[in-house]
Amino acid sequence: MIDRLLNIDRRIIFVFVFIGVAVPLLLDFNLPVKITPSSQAMYDRIEQVAAEGEGIVLLSFSYGPSTVPEIQPMVLSILRHCFSHDLKVVAICLWPDAVGLAQQALETVSAEYGKEYGADYAFMGYKPGGAIVIVNMGQDLHSAYPQDNWGKASSELEVTSNIHSLRDFDFVIDFAAGNSVDHWWVPYGQEKYKFPLGAGCTAVVAPDLKPYQNSGQLVGMLGGLAGAAEYEKLVGQPGSATAAMTSQSSTHLILIAFIVLGNAMYFISRRSARSQ
Amino acid sequence: MLFLRRTLPMILAFVTGIIGISIYYVPHSSAQGLEEVLARWLRIVYAFAFFLGLFSLLNLHWRRVRARQAGWGYSLIVYLSFGLMIFFVLYNDGTGPFSPQARAGGYQWLFLNVQVPCGATMFSILAFFISSAAYRTFRARTPEAAILLVAAVIVMLGRVPVGAYIHDFFPAAAQWLMDVPNMAAKRGILLGVSLGIVATSLRIIFGIERSYLGGGEE
Repeated sequence: MIDRLLNIDRRIIFVFVFIGVAVPLLLDFNLPVKITPSSQAMYDRIEQVAAEGEGIVLLSFSYGPSTVPEIQPMVLSILRHCFSHDLKVVAICLWPDAVGLAQQALETVSAEYGKEYGADYAFMGYKPGGAIVIVNMGQDLHSAYPQDNWGKASSELEVTSNIHSLRDFDFVIDFAAGNSVDHWWVPYGQEKYKFPLGAGCTAVVAPDLKPYQNSGQLVGMLGGLAGAAEYEKLVGQPGSATAAMTSQSSTHLILIAFIVLGNAMYFISRRSARSQ
Repeated sequence: MLFLRRTLPMILAFVTGIIGISIYYVPHSSAQGLEEVLARWLRIVYAFAFFLGLFSLLNLHWRRVRARQAGWGYSLIVYLSFGLMIFFVLYNDGTGPFSPQARAGGYQWLFLNVQVPCGATMFSILAFFISSAAYRTFRARTPEAAILLVAAVIVMLGRVPVGAYIHDFFPAAAQWLMDVPNMAAKRGILLGVSLGIVATSLRIIFGIERSYLGGGEE
């Protein structure tokens, strides 16, 4: 019996995880989300920029389709926060497969707030080079992005015409599924050109960015689906991340139950082996 | 030939390495201008790397198809998918390849309705495998493993709303674990890795480390 439980068929675990994910999604039930200091810091920075007057925010998209469920909700919430305060937004992509995601997010939220392309926001598209693009943007934005994603000169767009360097942005946020924050934005952007930098990242990346937040190189950080749900709560528009938190909660509980069961079986089998 | 194969690359690595380090710290306009030029060169080199990657991918899958290796059908799907996407990119919603990228069309539709769901599904499957792996391997065999296990359970509960629902201890403890022990370990690793990168870079610049030159005949 104990051996069977120790070597349980993994498909049984899969079924439990599936039920843990699927059932809460079908129920209209949300657990209360607690705001962490790093998410609050992101929110406060945008509020501060809005309070200071006409501000401009740069959003950098460094993720792809695989991390859409985690990162796209935080992008939508940040955009809603910016547009609700009439902040200008410029978007760039440092990952090639982020272009379609950025375009979708910008078009969705700009339509909600009646924002006009070119006057309220601009989409510069993708440039290869990662850190090098950031260095170029620090030197001369129009040299790094002479045209937007649709071929219009960046010097002719109202929102980018007066932006010359990364220093001209009031807040820069990188949405990261990899090491773009710590390997690109901090050493080649924030440290070199000194501007407020924030991050939205997957839960896996979040622990790696903690030292940068502690040192002040990052203003704040949204970590994983939980960070996205926190920001949805802060802007008062619950979305897919908030809905998914119940699923994540139940799945974590199932996983913990399996870990406890596995350890219990392990100690029982060890004790019985010793007694024999 | 030894000069072209070894000496010249080492001279190039030394000169560009020293210039690259120097201009990062020199705020003079001429240094900044040089940095701008070098950064532009690097971006062009990066763009060419895409062609190399594409050639490598298609070549690998072509060899699999030709040799009828196990799973060669999937390699055919790579070609089919690539052909379909490149067709819609070039078609560009009827405007052709030399116009700016179209806002809508077949490429956007395929990306949002095929690539995004497929990518998200692939990543989400990890949850199932991690659950199975955690059940089998996450055992308190030693005191260190027991500490790791307890910390993991606290963070797992503390980072989801149900943790706060059970008790306020879980989010507070999870935050402390992330802010103190996690950050201390991460900072230590980061400093070690960074010093290693500095040391390796200096070894390459000064020609001590030559493995990047590759092997082959002298």
